[in-house]
Amino acid sequence: MAFDEMKSSAGGVRAPYRAYENWLLSLPPDVLRRKHDEADMLFRRLGITFTVYGDQEGTERLIPFDTVPRIISASEWKHLSAGCCQRVRALNAFLKDLYHDQEILKAGIIPKQHVLGNAMFRPEMMGIDVARDVYTHIAGIDLVRTGENEFYVLEDNLRSPSGVSYMLENRAMMMRLFPDLFARHQVAPVDEYPDILIKNLRSVAPAKCKGDPNVVMMTPGYYNSAYFEHAFLAEQMGIELVEGRDMFVQDGLVWMRTTRGPKRVDVIYRRIDDEFMDPDAFNPDSALGVRGLLDAYRGGGVTLANAIGTGVADDKATYTYVPDMVKFYLGEEPILNNVPTWRLEREDDRKYVLEHLPELVVKEVQGAGGYGMLVGPTSTKAKIEEFRKVILANPSNYIAQPTLALSTVPTLVEQGIAPRHVDLRPYVLAGESVTLVPGGLTRVALTEGSLVVNSSQGGGTKDTWVLENDPC
Amino acid sequence: MLSRTAEHLYWMSRYMERAENIARFLDVANRTAMSAPGNPDAFWRSVLSIAGGEKAFNTRYGQASAVNVVSYTVLDSTNPSSIYAALRSTRENAHAVRSVIPNELWEATNATWLEVKSMDGPRLREQGLIAFCEWVRERSHVFRGIVDGVMLRDERYHFLRLGTALERADNTARLIGVPLGGFSPGGAGADPFGHTHWAVVLRSVSALKAYRTVYGDEPRQANALDMLIQKSSMPRSLLFCLNKTMETLDEIGPDLECTRMVGALQAKLHWSKMDELLSEGLKEFVSSFITFNNHISTQLHEDFLMSA
Repeated sequence: MAFDEMKSSAGGVRAPYRAYENWLLSLPPDVLRRKHDEADMLFRRLGITFTVYGDQEGTERLIPFDTVPRIISASEWKHLSAGCCQRVRALNAFLKDLYHDQEILKAGIIPKQHVLGNAMFRPEMMGIDVARDVYTHIAGIDLVRTGENEFYVLEDNLRSPSGVSYMLENRAMMMRLFPDLFARHQVAPVDEYPDILIKNLRSVAPAKCKGDPNVVMMTPGYYNSAYFEHAFLAEQMGIELVEGRDMFVQDGLVWMRTTRGPKRVDVIYRRIDDEFMDPDAFNPDSALGVRGLLDAYRGGGVTLANAIGTGVADDKATYTYVPDMVKFYLGEEPILNNVPTWRLEREDDRKYVLEHLPELVVKEVQGAGGYGMLVGPTSTKAKIEEFRKVILANPSNYIAQPTLALSTVPTLVEQGIAPRHVDLRPYVLAGESVTLVPGGLTRVALTEGSLVVNSSQGGGTKDTWVLENDPC
Repeated sequence: MLSRTAEHLYWMSRYMERAENIARFLDVANRTAMSAPGNPDAFWRSVLSIAGGEKAFNTRYGQASAVNVVSYTVLDSTNPSSIYAALRSTRENAHAVRSVIPNELWEATNATWLEVKSMDGPRLREQGLIAFCEWVRERSHVFRGIVDGVMLRDERYHFLRLGTALERADNTARLIGVPLGGFSPGGAGADPFGHTHWAVVLRSVSALKAYRTVYGDEPRQANALDMLIQKSSMPRSLLFCLNKTMETLDEIGPDLECTRMVGALQAKLHWSKMDELLSEGLKEFVSSFITFNNHISTQLHEDFLMSA
């Protein structure tokens, strides 16, 4: 039986949910469903959608929004936020070390070939200093819960984690739909996020920047599936939303084309993968990037957030070393645990995993979005055997983890309110300081029993409440 | 402001204005065809010469019947000059700049698009063409109302205004030259419907009532042309559109080539006598105006959008 965040308590309803449950019981039937429909209508009108590729009329879908909030107590949050910040400090220290002296490799804590042979390692970054030694300015740390005091980090997202606009819009929607709930609860606000982000981005202006830094948001364009989020964040921060074609490099500096002629660009918050940033340096077919950008970056003419080459630190094999990084760089004990992970490149691990496939979750090292994975317990015999062949063809490309009984939170589904599995992605911001707003994106698997929460696989989202004070 | 942003803003308001103008003319053609003697198809064909896309229509539909023209001009997604396509382009351009326009403007544009996207032949018939055209006009009023009511008077606003003024001038010029039901305006021949021709044209730009106020008469060609070309107080006249364009360019680029071009045309329309303007004939005047208006648009692009 999975841990239910509302009901799994010896004394009945768990403390953080007590006030909510009372309110829910007092509610006339069908109110939640009506509010749910209202939310759908509003999200559609506001254009808070993601684009489905390959559709001529640009069909835009809603990510299903659930009107029942996920509630986290103040003390739980204190623990989680300290753990996430600690992790991001360690990961930034690791990236700096990796692209400079490689002490951690010399100390034998991480095998050399694992990092240097990794496709996401960027030799172009060797010896390059970045502002404030910050590589990952925005990190999404995926957390899962399995019990009253059991939280695990499932993975780190250090390239360009998305979803934060839903954290902000879900809150705005809940306040609009259920103002009385916010009168009954002291929910910590999340709306400072854009202010903290822009302050951090300004604080990492490059060496060659003089005066007030010009920060821009770079999007692949308005046909991108996450375009809404790019536009939303640019608007919230009051910065220009640029595409690659709006910029050019001249004399080691980056410029954007404006109606008043070229204007200097100092910091680029980019939502484009490394490979597409500069056709001269990476994928030559990229029409999304800017020629010469990498050279300008290496020369200190511009700051990229996140930095080039962070992907090496967030693949699922490097993940297994993060607790070691915390000890090595910070001299601290990790506050948050990793999920126990088997690396299939190791013979013992491989043997164990292949013998226990029906119980395990197997993931591609660089996979994302819930693709290329096997969830043993909910899979069929034939599919497991098929996946076994795929693994054997390239074992080092896979890791395996026990199937965690992810916690559940009550969720409105066809049949009424029922428990559904959730995860949590808080967004850690690094710059002047390392911090995060109290909240994050709760993703929920809407299908009964499903553990896959990704929106590309039919997952939905919930507003995530962190309580200011815990009820006694 | 990013050059690309300026371009999207300019086209966003052009397409909104275009949708409104197609709806206006369609509405009037519809009402007139119901009451005019003779062959109503001729009225419907004139809709195509205002909205554009006549060639493609001939290949695809052939006969300019009411049903054909309405399906082609209203909801045909493959016709780049349909109301549907104009609203789609309005929304696409708004989508590309949603971070810099007021949220209300984005939401209104998006809502308009979602509504027209869900429209089909049966629903249109049920609602009726008149009600649909009214709806399009209202959506355009809402669009302009938001722009005027809440936008900061900065470059963003000015580029939106430019798009509206240039598109509207193009439309009014087309209207002046359009032959309706076999009657070619400006020619020596008599209007076979009495004064219907100019009444129809004026009504389509909501200026018939204004005409009566100004001239106290039924629509006659000379006065109607004065109203549509040189009357600076009439918000859809050519001179009014040029004055607006000039005001805007004075704000954002007084020394540019496009400003000089607009100024030259504005002076000509402002100071010339009507028979000087029409010395080559009405048809010629209209076509050279449309060509020059297009050149202004191209020059705007050169001056502001290719600046780096």
